[in-house]
Amino acid sequence: MSLLHLVKVDLKKMTSYRTFWVICGLYFVTLGFTTASGMEILKWIAGKFQDFGSEININRIPLYHFPDIWQNLIWVSGLFKIVLSIMVVISITNEYQYRTLRQNIIDGLSRWELMLSKILMNVLLSLMSVGMLLVIILFTGLIYTPDLAWADIVTGSEFLLAYFLEVFAFLSYALMLGMFVQRSGLTIVLLLLSNMIEAIIKLNVFRFGIENSFGWLKQFFPLESITNLVPLPFPRYAFQEIQDSVSMVAVLIAIGWAILFNYFSYLRLKKADI
Amino acid sequence: MNLETVLSIQRLTKNFGKLCAVNQLDLEVKRGQVFGMLGPNGSGKTTTLGMLMGVTHPTSGSFTWFGEKPSHLTRKKIGAVLEHPIFYPYLSGQKNLELNAMIKGADPNNIPKVLEMVELSSRKNDKYRTYSLGMKQRLAIASALVSDPIILILDEPTNGLDPMGIAEIRQIIKRIAADGKTIILASHLLDEVQKVCTHFAVLRKGKLMHSGPVDDVGKGEETVEVMAFHDDLSIYLQEFVGSASIKREDGLYQVMMKDGFHSQDLNKFLFENGIITSHLVTKKKSLEKQFLEILSEAH
Repeated sequence: MSLLHLVKVDLKKMTSYRTFWVICGLYFVTLGFTTASGMEILKWIAGKFQDFGSEININRIPLYHFPDIWQNLIWVSGLFKIVLSIMVVISITNEYQYRTLRQNIIDGLSRWELMLSKILMNVLLSLMSVGMLLVIILFTGLIYTPDLAWADIVTGSEFLLAYFLEVFAFLSYALMLGMFVQRSGLTIVLLLLSNMIEAIIKLNVFRFGIENSFGWLKQFFPLESITNLVPLPFPRYAFQEIQDSVSMVAVLIAIGWAILFNYFSYLRLKKADI
Repeated sequence: MNLETVLSIQRLTKNFGKLCAVNQLDLEVKRGQVFGMLGPNGSGKTTTLGMLMGVTHPTSGSFTWFGEKPSHLTRKKIGAVLEHPIFYPYLSGQKNLELNAMIKGADPNNIPKVLEMVELSSRKNDKYRTYSLGMKQRLAIASALVSDPIILILDEPTNGLDPMGIAEIRQIIKRIAADGKTIILASHLLDEVQKVCTHFAVLRKGKLMHSGPVDDVGKGEETVEVMAFHDDLSIYLQEFVGSASIKREDGLYQVMMKDGFHSQDLNKFLFENGIITSHLVTKKKSLEKQFLEILSEAH
């Protein structure tokens, strides 16, 4: 079956499902509004300060200036991927709950095709996020940047690729969790707690002073590797040094995890009697 | 009849931990048969069908569809509903069938036809979750038919239906069988199998107990129920060369016939001796009787 056909199969399942539209709608609307309205919020804060007699020059904080805008907006967008991942969890746990996964296979889908249709859906959702952000960044960047220079616009655009990987790897993680747990409520709770659970594990592994010699291992943890793709940019406005480019090592680790997540999901599907 | 083999099963086995759900099963289904799989609940019918449809991994043994090794491509040629109907509850009947057609690579133009066949056309745009159990079962049959499959697998298709629903499903199955399709029908309802099937197999605790044509069920010894207003009837019945044994039950004589003797022979004999019967009924063994015999033979 062609890849396009597999995407269509999964879209057919989702496009008449109201929850899908509600969650995706919420995701894209909040993502769009939040990222596009940062400057307005900043203006509003400055206005409030003015009421109290102090001055903030918002042009001194180039949030929406090329090239800063890439990393700024993409980092903020990364916070919203949890919403999309809940949609992915619902989509896969529904299939277990309704037992439609079983019927799909009886009807003649291979387990690999089923897996692929879910992976391709994740690719599609990630691409849509990237596309939406690209449009918002170009629009707001062109509006707010005072002195436009072509080089500045292109610089930092590599974060868009990192963002794709960030969303896709996280959705792959959500899919895997859904396939192993199979119940939507429990999966969503685990998904929300994942970062905390990983932090606790790291805390326990790296105590007793091995932090210094083995601290570099932290970047290999799955959720940390996804976070590391787009580092927090804002301390730079408080005169702190930040990493303002995509790290190749982070990309490779995240790709590794994305492959592993999907591979584990496939193994699970392949081995199970469903 | 074309005796091309559609399904051939060799020593198929499935263990769930210590429990052996299907045990060294051998079976053949030929084209055009309406094949009934009989067995009490938990005898391994659904597990067997699950393995045949690729959702359950066999522990050992093998099977072929149309002489080919099974794969998702062979499954597309089969229409199957296992256990109970499975659909997306939030999609309409129509959309569910469209999805089935996409997966099976079937022509979506078949959908109106199959909906008509199961009499669901008027409800096709309603969400599946609003359907009654009978409608769900009928939609399941429609989805199995949407790819115009060579073979149809139905697992307890009348489960939980009211008598009218059962009659409807039977009518549909008979109509499909009349089209020359091969049907595998799993059921624990003997009467259902006897009414619609040409062949049947009996499973018990995962083992094949019996397999053969339904027509053979009535063969072999025959019992004739006789009554006549004649004082010496029992004496004449004993004199008849064809009687193996005679019992009196509820005021009627039950004559067990020897092989090769039938009710007409008995009738002729009595008539020649001047006895005119007021009651003469040939009783063939029902599938139910045979089924219980097969099951009790095992233990």
